[in-house]
Amino acid sequence: MNLARLLPLLLLLLLAAVTPGVAEPAAPPQAAEKKAAVREGDKIWSGLVYATNETSPKDPPAELRDFAARLKRVFGYNQFQLAGSAVKPIDGDGEGWLVPSKNFSLSVKARRAVSKEARGGYLLSLALYQGNRQIVETETKLAPGSPLFIRGPACGKGHLLIVLQVQP
Amino acid sequence: MKTFEERTTAWIDGQLTGAELAAFEKELEAQPEAALDRAGARQLGDLLRTHGTAPPLANADFFNLQIQQRIAAGTPPQPRAEVGQSGGFLWSLPRLLWAGAASLVVAGVLYVALVPAAQPFIEPSNYFAQVVEAWPSDPSISATTVYNPQDNLTVLWIDGMDYMPSEQLALQ
Repeated sequence: MNLARLLPLLLLLLLAAVTPGVAEPAAPPQAAEKKAAVREGDKIWSGLVYATNETSPKDPPAELRDFAARLKRVFGYNQFQLAGSAVKPIDGDGEGWLVPSKNFSLSVKARRAVSKEARGGYLLSLALYQGNRQIVETETKLAPGSPLFIRGPACGKGHLLIVLQVQP
Repeated sequence: MKTFEERTTAWIDGQLTGAELAAFEKELEAQPEAALDRAGARQLGDLLRTHGTAPPLANADFFNLQIQQRIAAGTPPQPRAEVGQSGGFLWSLPRLLWAGAASLVVAGVLYVALVPAAQPFIEPSNYFAQVVEAWPSDPSISATTVYNPQDNLTVLWIDGMDYMPSEQLALQ
């Protein structure tokens, strides 16, 4: 095969190489995100929430005010009352217990998430207990402003929710 | 027995004689145009014999060799100008332009086909909560992660826990 027959192929390769978007993929959107700084003195807050439907619902507690509308849509209840809470600083080893009420307790082991997308968050190893009965173990990622909601047992006319949140 | 065509050819060439000529001419009485045809054929023959000589070949053997080679190759001879265009080492300018335009079209088609269209800008969410894994401690308990993208909310949905009377709660 002589050079004259290779010319169209060479031209095509040259054009493909200089065409934007073909030769190299676009940068991932995560590259634009700035890594949030992990603050010292972070705490883990847990709350036990009693969710019910009431004809005259009370205002949600301050800790849930930002999420009340979404909780109402997701769980279908219109009133959220705090039935207990506990807070624990995230110390060096990150292990400890959260006991938001006498009926529920959480074993927590926290370590900082080091990935670029972690946003200063933590990787939590959790174990939820109802009384002395272990219910579930879970690995969870949490960051400030991004609580995890656990739908617990039926209670009275509604349900119990357990909220876990990292507080700066 | 000669056929009519053979006798006609012999008659035109003047090779019929005697009784055979008389019988054939009697047969042609019904075709008056036959005499005209014979005159035309004889005129054409005279003309070819006078002017029909082929030009002498200076290199007859070389000419025959060329003919034999082209027959053997099975390709008709091409004009010299076309041979020069297709066999050149570099392309002519118009041909290069056409090749460039065709390459641009192919590159454009590949760009449209391979590069995804720009996605509408989605504001990155600040919400981060994720359940990586959940292991229920009892077969009667199920734990399911529910992420509601519309409300941007992560819920670990547990079924199978013991009912709890509301009187045990210390509501705040």
